Amino acid sequence: MAEFRSQEVLYGLYNDEEILMDAVKVANEKHLEIMEVFTPFPVHGLDPLLGLTESRLHIAGFIYGMIGTLTAFLFMTWVFTSDWPAVFGGKPYWSIPSFIPITFEVTVLFAAIGMVVSFYIVCGLGPGVNNPILDKRITDDKFCLAFQTNGASEEEIETLNKFFNDTNAEEVSTKII
Amino acid sequence: MNNNFTFEGKQKSILLSGIGLGIVCMVLTFFMGDHGAVRFWSNFLHNSVFFTGIAYTALFVIAAFTTAYAGWFIVIKRIWEAISLFLVVGLVLMMVIAVGLWMGYHDLYHWGIHGVADVNSETYDALIAGKSAFLNKGWYTFGTLAIVGSWIFFAQKLRSLSVAEDDYTVGDYGIHKKIKVWTAVFLPIGAFTSSAIIWLWVMSVDSHWYSTLYAWYATASWWVSCLCLTILIILYLKSKNYLQGVTVEHMHDLGKLTFAFSIFWTYLWFSQFMLIWYSNVGEETIYFRERMDNYPVLFWGNLALNFILPFFILMRNDTKRKMGSLAIAALVVLFGHWIDFFLMLKPGILHTQHYLPGNHGEAHHDAGGHEGAGHGAEHVSDAVAGFTMPGLLEIGTFIGFLCLFLFVVYTHISKASLLPKNDPYVEESLHHHS
Repeated sequence: MAEFRSQEVLYGLYNDEEILMDAVKVANEKHLEIMEVFTPFPVHGLDPLLGLTESRLHIAGFIYGMIGTLTAFLFMTWVFTSDWPAVFGGKPYWSIPSFIPITFEVTVLFAAIGMVVSFYIVCGLGPGVNNPILDKRITDDKFCLAFQTNGASEEEIETLNKFFNDTNAEEVSTKII
Repeated sequence: MNNNFTFEGKQKSILLSGIGLGIVCMVLTFFMGDHGAVRFWSNFLHNSVFFTGIAYTALFVIAAFTTAYAGWFIVIKRIWEAISLFLVVGLVLMMVIAVGLWMGYHDLYHWGIHGVADVNSETYDALIAGKSAFLNKGWYTFGTLAIVGSWIFFAQKLRSLSVAEDDYTVGDYGIHKKIKVWTAVFLPIGAFTSSAIIWLWVMSVDSHWYSTLYAWYATASWWVSCLCLTILIILYLKSKNYLQGVTVEHMHDLGKLTFAFSIFWTYLWFSQFMLIWYSNVGEETIYFRERMDNYPVLFWGNLALNFILPFFILMRNDTKRKMGSLAIAALVVLFGHWIDFFLMLKPGILHTQHYLPGNHGEAHHDAGGHEGAGHGAEHVSDAVAGFTMPGLLEIGTFIGFLCLFLFVVYTHISKASLLPKNDPYVEESLHHHS
C-alpha cells in the first residue's frame, strides 16, 4: 500500500503519561503536526487531545451481536419446533426461557469475533504483516511522540528539537521506516 | 467553588411537606379498614426495607471502591457517606416492624403468627416449625439490631475518619490507612450480614419458600437503586452550583455502573427464574405462579423497567454523557426497583393472610402440603390498588419516605465539606477522564 512507503520520523520518548499529555497540548498550541503517538497502554483523555473521532467499532459490534441473537434464537426455534421437535422435561417445544442462555452466548461470540476481525481488517493487520516499530520500549514503559520529517527544512527540524527539549523528552532520535 | 452545602429553609419545607403527604397517606391507609391494616403495614415494610437497603449499599460502595484503590469517586464520596448515615433512621423504622411483631399489631410474616410452631395449635405449620430456629421474633429483633447496628457503627466510623481527614496535614496518610483497614473489615461482614437480613426481612414473607439466589438478587436491586438516587442527588446539587468538581466523566462512570448493575440484576433475576422454571417443583414454582397469575402487569413491567429500558437507553456512549437522558434513566430505574420490592413483598404478605385463624377456613389444614396446587385461584385476578397494584396511597407513602430519606441525607451533606480535600486520591478524582 502506498501509504507505507518509507518515512523519515523524528520522535521523542517520554517517561510518564502526564508529561506526554502536556507535550501533546504544547504541540497543539504550536500547531505542530503530530504523526502518531505510541503508548504501552491506553491513556485516558489522549484521544480528544489528538482530535481522534469516536470509533465506530462498537456500532459494528452491536450489529454483529444482533445477528448472533437472531441466528441462535431462530436456529433453535427451527430445530425444536419443525426440524426435530423433542420434549425436554415436559416443557413445550418452543420454550423461550431455555433458549436465553444460548442466545446470550452466541450474541457475545458473534460480537467478539466480528469486532476482532473488523479491527484487524481496518488496521490492515493480518498474517505476514510486519509493522516497523520505532523503539521496543514503547511496548513497555516509554511514551512516544512522533513527527514525520520527509522534506522538512533545517529550520523545522530545529523547531521540533526545541519542542522536545522544552517538553522534557527523555530521548530524541530519528528513524527511517 | 462552593464546597459547603447549605440546607435552605425552602428546601426543608418542601421536603417536610413531602413527609407530611406521606404521613397523611399512611394514616389514610391505616384507617382504610382492611383486615389487620395489611395494606398499611406492608407499605411501611416495603419502603423501610427499600431505603434502609439503599443506605446499606452506599456504605458497601464506599468500602468496595476504597479497597479497590479507586480514585475517581472521591468527589462524590461525601454523598455516599451521607446516604449511609440514613441507616440510623432505617434501624428505627425496622424496629417499628419488630415491635409490631411482638405486640401482634400486624401479620406480615406467616412465621410470626401465634402458635405456628406449636404442634397442638390450630395454626401449626410443619414447614415453618422446622425453620423456627431462625424465623422467630427473637431472631428478627436481635438480627435487625445486631446487623443494622454493626452497619451504623461502620458508617459512622468511616464518616468520622473521613471528616477528621479534612483538618489533617497534607501528605499525612495515617487516616487514609485507617479508612482502608475499616473498609476491608466491613466488606466480608457487610456481604454476609446483608444476606441474612434479606432472609429475615424480605424472603421470609414467603415463609414456605426459599431460594439461595434471593439475597444477591435483592442486594443487586438495592445497589442499582442506590446508584440511581446518587445520580439524581448529584444532578440536583450541581443545578444548585455545588459539586463543580463532578464532571461529565464522573456522571458517565455512574451511568456505566447503573447500566452494568441493571444487567447484573437481570442476570440474577433470570437465573432464579430459569432454575425454578426448569426443575418445575411445585413448592418452588408457587413463587412465580403467584406473581405471574395475579400480578402480570407488574411482573413483566418489572423486566421492562429494570432491564429493557436501561439497557437500550444507557447502551450508547452519548446517552450516559447527556444529563437529561441519564436523569430519565435513573428515575425510571429507581421507580422500577421500588416496584421490584413491591413484587417481592406484597404477594407473600397477602398470601399469609389466608393462614390467619378464621380468615379462610381451609388454608391452615393443609399446612405445607398442597398449597402449590391452585392456591393462586383464591386470589383476586383483577388489579386492586394497594394489593396487586401500587395505588395512589402507595405512591404518596413512597414520596413521604423519599422526602424523609432526602431530608436526612441533605442534613448530613450540609454538616461537612462536599470535597474531602485531604484524601490522597482527590487530585486524581478532580482530573478524572475516561
